[in-house]
Amino acid sequence: MKIIETVNLSKVYTHDFIDVEHGRLKFNFFRRTVALDKLNLEVREGEIFGLLGPNGAGKSTTIKILMGIIFPTGGSARIMERPLGDKSVKAKIGFLPENPAFYDYLKGEEFLDYYGQLYGMPRALRRKRIEEMFELVGLPPHAPNLPLKGYSKGMLQRIGLAQALINDPALVVLDEPQSGLDPLGRKEIRDIILRLKDQGKTVFFSSHILSDAELICDRVAIVNRGRLVAMGELSHLLSPKIKDYELVVSGLSRESLDILEKHARKFIERERDVLIILDKEDLVKEALRRIVAENATLVSLTPRKETLEEYFIREVARTNAPREEVHA
Amino acid sequence: MSKVLAIALNTFKEAVRNKVLYFLLIFALLIMGFSGVISDLSIAAPEKLIKDLGLAAIDFFGFLIAVFVGVYLVYTELDKKTIYTIVSKPIDRYQFILGKFFGLLITIYVNMLIMSVFFFAVLYFRDATDFDKVMKAIYREVSPGHYEPIGNPQIQYYLYHFKQLALAIGKGVATIFGYWEPMTHHLMRVIWMSGLGLAIITSFAILYSTFSTPTLSAVFTFLTWIIGNLCEDILRYAEKLAQKAGGVANLAGPDLMKYWFAQIAMHIVPNLALFDKRTEAVYGPWDVSTPNIHSVPIDWVSVVYGLVYVAGILCLASMIFNRRNFK
Repeated sequence: MKIIETVNLSKVYTHDFIDVEHGRLKFNFFRRTVALDKLNLEVREGEIFGLLGPNGAGKSTTIKILMGIIFPTGGSARIMERPLGDKSVKAKIGFLPENPAFYDYLKGEEFLDYYGQLYGMPRALRRKRIEEMFELVGLPPHAPNLPLKGYSKGMLQRIGLAQALINDPALVVLDEPQSGLDPLGRKEIRDIILRLKDQGKTVFFSSHILSDAELICDRVAIVNRGRLVAMGELSHLLSPKIKDYELVVSGLSRESLDILEKHARKFIERERDVLIILDKEDLVKEALRRIVAENATLVSLTPRKETLEEYFIREVARTNAPREEVHA
Repeated sequence: MSKVLAIALNTFKEAVRNKVLYFLLIFALLIMGFSGVISDLSIAAPEKLIKDLGLAAIDFFGFLIAVFVGVYLVYTELDKKTIYTIVSKPIDRYQFILGKFFGLLITIYVNMLIMSVFFFAVLYFRDATDFDKVMKAIYREVSPGHYEPIGNPQIQYYLYHFKQLALAIGKGVATIFGYWEPMTHHLMRVIWMSGLGLAIITSFAILYSTFSTPTLSAVFTFLTWIIGNLCEDILRYAEKLAQKAGGVANLAGPDLMKYWFAQIAMHIVPNLALFDKRTEAVYGPWDVSTPNIHSVPIDWVSVVYGLVYVAGILCLASMIFNRRNFK
């Protein structure tokens, strides 16, 4: 089943006629901004899907449309094969917005209870789920009775995740779930996302932390300037070919090093060893031959494939380029 | 319905934890207490002054809560983006508007009840500590014209006042549940009617805050309240203008504009004067059946008018809110 499907989804913002910007009146007669331009997405059941893109690419706009926060100006979208806004579908979705702010006057427990009520959950079930949620997201034992204004940023992100999961959703939508978290916090969020997948849930999240996305996503979509740049499984998107070889050696003679430096893409001499990046397998073989002959030490040899980050930068640059030429 | 209630209770919690509310409440109570003190300066009817000032304070401070708390309720949700997590839940947007409205109304009514208890207590206490009554309580008449103190008059004086204060508060609480003395009869009716008028103002505060900033909403709500309270007078003035000119057809220039402004205002803005029963309760005609009691008949037409108005404004607010993009 297609959990999320968008067809030519578009969003154009019309600016207010008069706006105050930096203390000055600004007139924007009929100024429009295209936030989303005919976006076609498809998220399948049970997968972890990453929506990636630079700032202002349209990631949040897409998520806001799907969550019924804003309305599209063109195209259509369906969630669980029902049109947007269907309440029976909304009951099966958990959503965590970007940089969430919550009712800081509520205590942790009251807060989750309120959201449980909005899902129409009976009291007994709410109690049970609240307890489970505090444990799942790893909040400290005093958190339930602490008003949210006393929560740290990391704790807020966790309780935000808890409110998204309180209804045991089939689809979890997370907008930049890892923003503002330390590496440990990011890892915990990754683990939670993987656990949700194990439970058979579909996870749809936006991120600009590509290394994390690469670790957990089954499929990704890259958007830039409101348009879809690429979508598919990571193994298909990223080139399977070896891009280059990273070699670290120590104890090689000056003569050998000079020869290798000439052919290396990158050559960095460090205190104890030398880092050499070579393009071709033949060059690697030559280096290895010299290491053996001179009885030098091979510290490491790593064949490198294209990373998601490199792919992302290449694709985004490609889609940015022609338009900038037009501007020029 | 349970979702509306959840939102309403959360709104109430939010309002209760708002400091502005307490400032307003303390100020209202101070004014009522003060009315008890300055009533001594009134020669003819001290009781009337307390009633007039007290009832006006309950209405006015209820209105201030509607404005100062009300215009922020929807705005804060949009500004802090908490609305994102609300509209993505399986609720309709109108349920959110209803929840906010009822939450604010509960806040206003709870405050009105607290003010009412205090107001009735001031009335009862003022009445019980009348010079004659105090004297009677601490002195005993041994023979005609001769009095003798009961115990230590100073201690008795304070004891009597403490006792009357406790009694007045008790009676104040009882009055909001239906207990009455001739002095306080029908006053609760005045307060409930004023509560209905405030429900209309609250619905306007919510309506304005669905599409404008808190400052503008506050200004709009304030203007609605002023025009609403004056619209009968404005209309009377317009009719007089027309009469003077010998018919609407003869009106011209600014007078014609004034006439139409009054007509339009009368039909758009709620007639809030209908919910002000203060004058009747304090200065109105005596009840025919019971002596010493002002008659304040229940005005069912106004009640229905008020409820329909509230429903209409909430529908309008929901319609606007339904179409909004939350950026």
